[in-house]
Amino acid sequence: MFRLVTVSIVFVVLGTSAFADSWPQFRGVNATGVSAQSENLPVQFSYQDKVRWSVPLGNGIACPVVADERLVATAMVEEERFAVICLNSKNGEEIWRREFETKNLPTIMPPNTQASSTPVIDGERVYVYFSTLGLLAFDLGDGNLVWQHPIPEAFYLLDWGPAHSPIVLDDMVIFCQDDDLSPFILALDKFTGEVRWRTERSEMLAGYSLPVICTANGQTDIVVAGSGKLKGYDPKTGKQRWTCNTLLRTIMTTPAVRGDTIYVSVQSYGDTDRVLRFALLQWKDTNQDEKLAKAELDQAFWAKFAQGDKNKDGFLVGTEIDEAFQAPTNMVGGGNIIQAIRGGGQGDVTETHVVWKLDNKSPSNIASPLVAGDQLFVVKKGGISACFNAEDGASIWEKKRIRNFGNYYASPIAGDGKIYVMGENGYVVVLEQGRKLKVLAKNDMGESCVATPAIANNSLYIRTLTKLYCIAEEIK
Amino acid sequence: MILRCTAAGLIVFWALLVSSSRAQEKIVVVVGANAPELEKFAAAELATQWERLYSVDADVSTDIRGNRYAVLVGSPATNPHVKRVLDGSWPQVSDQGIVLKSYRQGDVQGVVVGGGSAVATLWAAYEWGYQHGIRYMFHGDFYPVSAPADYTSDVLNLVMEPKLRVRTWRTVNDFAIGPESWGLADLQALIKQLAKMKFNRVMLSVYPWQPFVHYEFGDVKKETAMHWYGDKFRVDGDVPGKRVFDGAAIFENPDFVGTDSYQKKMNAGIKHARGIMQAAQSLGMTAAISMSPGEFPREFSRALPGSQEVHQLKRLTIGPGPQVGPDDKLFRELVSTKIRAFIETYPELDALYIGMPEFPEWSGHFEEAWDELSGGDGEINGLTLAEVIQTAAERNLIASAERGIQAIKGNIAPLAFFKSLFADQELLKRADGGQVQLVLRSIDPALYPILDQVIPRGAATLNFVDYTSRRVVENRQLLAEVPSTKVPASLILTLADDNVGVLAQSATSSIHELVTDLRHHGWEGFSTRYWMLAELDPTVHYLSRAAFSDDVTVRSAHDELFMALTGKRDVADRLWLAFQYIEQATTLIDEKDIGFGFPVQGMLMKHYSGGPAPAWWAEASELYTKAMIELYRSHDGTHPRARPVLFYYAKRSEYVLEYLAAVSAVRAAGVAKAKDDQDAMLEQLEIAVESMYNAIDTLSDVVRDQSDRGLIAVLINHAYRPLYGEYERALELADQ
Repeated sequence: MFRLVTVSIVFVVLGTSAFADSWPQFRGVNATGVSAQSENLPVQFSYQDKVRWSVPLGNGIACPVVADERLVATAMVEEERFAVICLNSKNGEEIWRREFETKNLPTIMPPNTQASSTPVIDGERVYVYFSTLGLLAFDLGDGNLVWQHPIPEAFYLLDWGPAHSPIVLDDMVIFCQDDDLSPFILALDKFTGEVRWRTERSEMLAGYSLPVICTANGQTDIVVAGSGKLKGYDPKTGKQRWTCNTLLRTIMTTPAVRGDTIYVSVQSYGDTDRVLRFALLQWKDTNQDEKLAKAELDQAFWAKFAQGDKNKDGFLVGTEIDEAFQAPTNMVGGGNIIQAIRGGGQGDVTETHVVWKLDNKSPSNIASPLVAGDQLFVVKKGGISACFNAEDGASIWEKKRIRNFGNYYASPIAGDGKIYVMGENGYVVVLEQGRKLKVLAKNDMGESCVATPAIANNSLYIRTLTKLYCIAEEIK
Repeated sequence: MILRCTAAGLIVFWALLVSSSRAQEKIVVVVGANAPELEKFAAAELATQWERLYSVDADVSTDIRGNRYAVLVGSPATNPHVKRVLDGSWPQVSDQGIVLKSYRQGDVQGVVVGGGSAVATLWAAYEWGYQHGIRYMFHGDFYPVSAPADYTSDVLNLVMEPKLRVRTWRTVNDFAIGPESWGLADLQALIKQLAKMKFNRVMLSVYPWQPFVHYEFGDVKKETAMHWYGDKFRVDGDVPGKRVFDGAAIFENPDFVGTDSYQKKMNAGIKHARGIMQAAQSLGMTAAISMSPGEFPREFSRALPGSQEVHQLKRLTIGPGPQVGPDDKLFRELVSTKIRAFIETYPELDALYIGMPEFPEWSGHFEEAWDELSGGDGEINGLTLAEVIQTAAERNLIASAERGIQAIKGNIAPLAFFKSLFADQELLKRADGGQVQLVLRSIDPALYPILDQVIPRGAATLNFVDYTSRRVVENRQLLAEVPSTKVPASLILTLADDNVGVLAQSATSSIHELVTDLRHHGWEGFSTRYWMLAELDPTVHYLSRAAFSDDVTVRSAHDELFMALTGKRDVADRLWLAFQYIEQATTLIDEKDIGFGFPVQGMLMKHYSGGPAPAWWAEASELYTKAMIELYRSHDGTHPRARPVLFYYAKRSEYVLEYLAAVSAVRAAGVAKAKDDQDAMLEQLEIAVESMYNAIDTLSDVVRDQSDRGLIAVLINHAYRPLYGEYERALELADQ
């Protein structure tokens, strides 16, 4: 108990001073993508210009995380060798490195790579997830492995592969693994790796949304967007407090929280009637006989298959497919949505807490929304952007191109009055944060990029497919 | 304590047991002590295959050395062990015949892997691998998903003779999407794979402006050395796909990077070409060069008074003009100089292919040339000049009507010239005293009935009927006209055409028809024609099998390849559909607009016009969509090891869809422009830019060779940049 209290105090102190400008996890503090402290962030730069330092890392798409002078990144340094690398964020010098044999890597689908999960840093330790290693905690100072907690292998009907990332809340590491087999959310003691609680999320299909924290009405919830439902959990027990049943089938984006409101933007393939069955019959029914045979699925799903095969004829047909894989209480389809949902609820808040919602084609299926100031900004393939009033969802602009084509897997981030949009083609488009779309610059990082950059120490940390760059204006 | 010791002892005992049983899993690959190097290489290849397939130790030796299982490599003439176990039962085989025969003699059993020559033995080694589930593809070997049955119960008795004895792989060519972009290291790897598929000749098809030969005539020195018709491909700046070029500003053949002078280019070019030839010969293939003797870079216009520009992309060459007759001494000397330059530059050359011009313009002397060819009779085997010309005019080929007449006239003069020129036996003599084989290429089909009469004595022919295999099938009766018993004849088999060009292509069904005809009519073989390898693995796999067997069908070859690769019947079935759709799309494009995807400047913006979009564009798009769905479906259902291969195909189909979307949008923009509807024009141009961006980006996800990079370079420069330029102009206009 003494230790917990001490640590809470340390966290609070760090949280308000030394780490005020840190970028501790995917998209920074609480995954907002907004840096509140960094100043004088660069507008014009490239992989050759305003590079304070750069290092080759190895292949990967996880975001770098920063706590003051420590930066942690991950990479595949060989085909079956995973590395956790701690660098000095000021000069790029390596402080420590830990490498692991990975073995038996899971099947993944591009643009996913094996080193895709973003670590989380709390000032003392860094917590890292890797598919075949589970959750690992390292001492941030010397890189010693503090604990390792095995995580059940994730299975995906459509072979997307694992890419889930942990977060830290108080003295817990929270990890949500929504796969197609046995989705769950888990809290571990961040000092020991012992399980505090585990909650099954059996209604969920595979998804990659990171848990976010929302405090509303004096109630702090761990909020997770998943298939069809946005759910709030009690951080102490992991018990579900509320559910808002307005989402879509596949959720790969992470919500943004501003104040007591959670903002979700999602594109999920197909229209609202397109439940999972259609995707499975399209891609997994190899012989196209309109039914799924066991052999057409990964062996991991055979138990689910058996449950769904009601007439025991050895095939899943029609609604049997739905019943095998999609929860009857959550038979949602695809579509496009942008929603604002008030946190702090209890029970089913579907009818009570949705502040506004749009059926709008602006969202990406992968790049998360950015709420900066009073605006919600989204960008999708083709560099097509839209911006909405965060208060009421009113359109500020829609279908406007940021003049950079291609895919967008990284999520937009903001700082110093600018919005940074990283394209998969390696160009970072810099926009003015404001009510009109204004492109300030388009900067070439020389290599494909899927990872969302980090902002800290008045610098941008950009992790391209194989390298890491620290970009900053000259210190005057 | 006792327990722990006992446990430890058990572990040691188990380890000894395992290692001793492991030690028993040993075979020997026995090769004759004086066997040719190629047979020794075959033995090493076999040992590697055995080790990977059966996880055994396979040593190569000249002695059985007490082993209970011995693979005997070679023939009775090269390996005494083969003579001992099979002498009485060694089958009669030609120099290309393959023998795989199990044997048991005393305590020793095994298999004889041999052939009628060293290279045939090498092919036998690969055939043994094939029979045991290994599949050889362009970019590597695929071993069976599960190990084959116990080799000691394996009974083999296989004798194979080729049905087509000349199996030529063409390389170099002329576009950035083709092998002209490939470095030697990549080509060496490819040639190794081709040897496994029993190709027996590599032919370098070179052009007058390329840096592969230097010659001088009088005071004129060759000074032109360029690739790709002189095109330069910038791949830097804000363009899609640049990630595949590793930061390079310009796309280049890696063997020519930094060659900034004629001399450096020539040195690199000769090293490159010799490297290809040596790679082929080291694997038992013959090496050939195909060239156009009557075409020269423009600087030679000074050396040949009365020369004329040759009709060709960029008009880079000259040839004899109307005043130059077939007996022109100066022209004869110039041509001889060029031919000698090739033979002296490439002392390893086995065959020289002399190409007839693609667009024959040296036609002015056709009547006197015909007289010469006919020995003054006016008829050759009863055919008159008028009849031959009439045939050329009335046929159903691209070169018909006026173009057909021009083609036949433009063939007759060079043929008379060559017949006289190559009467000089010294012309094709190598420094080592050997004679380079002469092959005449692309003689007009109207001359097929008299082919043996119009070519130099002893020459072979390589025949070109039309651009696509489908078109040749439509004119397959022409193949029967070649007197194949009198003149060795091969056919140019177009696997993928440069006119259909940048789109995914397949023509395996047509090729099957042609291969069937070639076997039926007694042709000697074939030479491939292609630019990208892309979708060609199934086609070339088919060819490699059909060249040795009458029973192979397109479907049976497909199944043999993809069942082994993917491990699943259902997946092979879906892939069959996918390639059928691609072939249907190829046929559609070939029928409707053969030059639709020709990889040259203006390839996209030629669609920027006001006419309605042809209906077949949507049909092609639908076919490629179906192909893409089947390919992704196959990808999802396959054994994981085949995924990269299927993902490549799927992405290529996806790319084509984006390309077609860009073309449609360009046309829609053109229509809007014609109507002076600026908003619609801008909107459509934006869609076109995005689609072309996505097309290139999609390709960039699955680059596996220099042709893939070359395609991206071509699309960036010939499609994306001009389109983007137009888009920016439209934006400026809209801002005004």
